[in-house]
Amino acid sequence: MSTAQPHVPDVSIEDRLYTVKYRDAGESHLGVKDPDICVECTSNECTQVCPAAVWTVEDDSDGVPSIAYENCLECGTCRFGCPHDNVRWEYPKTGGGVVFKQG
Amino acid sequence: MSAQETNGTLQLPKMQSETPDYNDAYDAIVVGAGLAGTAAALTMAREGLDVLMLERGPAPGTKNVFGGVLYTPTIRELVDVDSAPTERYIAEKRFSMLTSDGDETAVSMRPGAWRDEPHNDSYTVLRRRFDEWFAKQAVDAGVTLITETTVTGLVRDGRKIVGVETDRPDGEIRAPVVVLAEGANSLVSENEGLKDRQEREAVAVSVKEVFKLDRETIDDRFRLDGDAGAAYNYFGEGAVGEAVGGGFVYTNKRSVSVGVAYRIEDAANGQTPEATLDAFESHPAVAPLIRGGRRIEYSAHVIPEGGAKAMPDLVHDGAVVVGDAAGLVLNSGVHLEGTNMAVESGYHAGKAIASALADGRSDEAALAAYPRDLEDSFVVENLRHYDWFQQTIADDRKFLFEDLPRALADAETEYFKMDRTAKDEHTDAARDRLLDAAGGWFGAAKRAWRFRRMLS
Repeated sequence: MSTAQPHVPDVSIEDRLYTVKYRDAGESHLGVKDPDICVECTSNECTQVCPAAVWTVEDDSDGVPSIAYENCLECGTCRFGCPHDNVRWEYPKTGGGVVFKQG
Repeated sequence: MSAQETNGTLQLPKMQSETPDYNDAYDAIVVGAGLAGTAAALTMAREGLDVLMLERGPAPGTKNVFGGVLYTPTIRELVDVDSAPTERYIAEKRFSMLTSDGDETAVSMRPGAWRDEPHNDSYTVLRRRFDEWFAKQAVDAGVTLITETTVTGLVRDGRKIVGVETDRPDGEIRAPVVVLAEGANSLVSENEGLKDRQEREAVAVSVKEVFKLDRETIDDRFRLDGDAGAAYNYFGEGAVGEAVGGGFVYTNKRSVSVGVAYRIEDAANGQTPEATLDAFESHPAVAPLIRGGRRIEYSAHVIPEGGAKAMPDLVHDGAVVVGDAAGLVLNSGVHLEGTNMAVESGYHAGKAIASALADGRSDEAALAAYPRDLEDSFVVENLRHYDWFQQTIADDRKFLFEDLPRALADAETEYFKMDRTAKDEHTDAARDRLLDAAGGWFGAAKRAWRFRRMLS
C-alpha cells in the first residue's frame, strides 16, 4: 500500500460550471410534480445525485427544493434519482439551456 | 445547413406553396439529430425519402455527451469517415484497477494491427464537432434539418402515430413515420406511453471534464505519436469509491477527456458525482495524466444500462424508437459501447421505413423488419450475451472493486519484495494473499465460473 498523498483538486462546482456555455431559456424547465411529497421527503436524493448543484434544500425551508435551473447540464440524473418520481423535467424550449462546445 | 434553420418559425425551403405547411410534406420526421437520428435520416434520404430532422439544440451535438470513443464500422458504410472530425485513433487500450490507497494494477494492449488503417474502427471524438459534421452529411444527402425546435408530443389518429407536436407556434407536423431518437432522456417516448422510465439501478450517471493540454504533452505523457490515441479504463474503489462503475481517460488531439460513470442508485445513497470525480482525478495514477491541464468543459449525462431486458418495444404504428432512447448501450466491463449501436439501429430503422413506405404502409407490422434486423445484428446479440453482467458485478462489488484490487497490490508488493528471504517464500505469501481474497481455491473456482462468460 502506498502512503502517497494524492493532490486534492482545488476546484469548486462554480469553477466547473463556469466552463459550460448556456443559453437562458428564460423559464425553468425543471420543477417538482407535487410539493407535498418534497415536504414529506427526508432523504433529498435530488441534492445528492445532481452533478450541477441545481437542487438545494435549505435548512429553514419547508423541504421543497430550490432549483437553480440555469446550472442544469440536462443530464437527466434527477429524473431517475428521485425515488418518488417527483421531478418535473422538460426539455428547455426553443434551443435554450446548455450548449456543449466539446461533448 | 442554411435556409432551413434560420429564425424562430418553421420554414420549409423546398415548399412551393405560399403558406408554409409541413403537414405530409415529408415521409418521415426524425426527433433528435444525434447519431441514431442522423443515421436513420441519412439512410432514408439515400433511399429517396423526404426526411425532416428536428433538433432541440442550436446545432447538432450541443446537447450530446459521451465518454469519448466512437466505433465506426457502420458509420463507415454511410459516410466517408476519413474526412470526419475524429480526434485520435485508439492505439492503446488499458484496463486498470485502482485502490483507494493509491495502488494501481493495469493491463495495457497495443496490438500493432491497430496502427494500421482503419485502426480497428475506433476513434476518440468530441460530440459537438462530430455530430454537427455527421448531420451535415445527412443534409447534403437531402435531409431537412431544423434546429432549436423541441418535440413535445406525438400526434395520433386513433392508435396510429401520425406526426409530432413541437414548441413552435402552430407546431404540429404530420408525416407517415416518426423516428424517436431523443436520447437517454426520452421524454416524448415516455410521456406517450411507448416506454417506461427506467429504475435508477439500471441507469448510470456520468460526469466528465475535458482538459486542454498541448499535443506534445499528450503524446509524451501517453507515449503516442501522430494520430495515435489512448483509451484508459479504470475500475475499483480508487476509480468510483463504493459505487458500481468505472472511470476513464481518453486522449483527444489537444485535450484529454476524464470522467466517471456509475449507478444513480449509488449517487442517491450519498456518493455524489462531484466528489467521485474529484477522488478519481486526484488518484496518484490519474492526477499526473492531467496535471497542468486547463478545464475547458464540464459535462454530465445519464446512461441507460438496463441491457436487453430493459429494451422497450422498438416499433409502433407509425413510429420507431432508436439509439439511447431504445436503451441500446453495452457495458460488459471491458466493452463500453453505445454510439455504434445507435448508428446501427438508425440504419436498420431507416431501411425498414423505406421498405414499408414503398408498399404504402407505416403500421407496426410493416415496420417489423427494424426490430427483426436489429435482433439479428451485433447490437441485440451483444446486449443479450452480456445481460448477466451488470447484476453479477453489482452482487460481487466488494470483491471485485475493493478486495481484488487491494489483494493484487499486496501480492505484487510481496512477490517482488527485495529482502534476504528466498523468492519461494514471497511467492507462497503472494499466492496466499490472492487466494485469501478470492475465498480459497474453491472461492476462486466459483468466481471463475461466475465470470466464465467474459470469455465465452
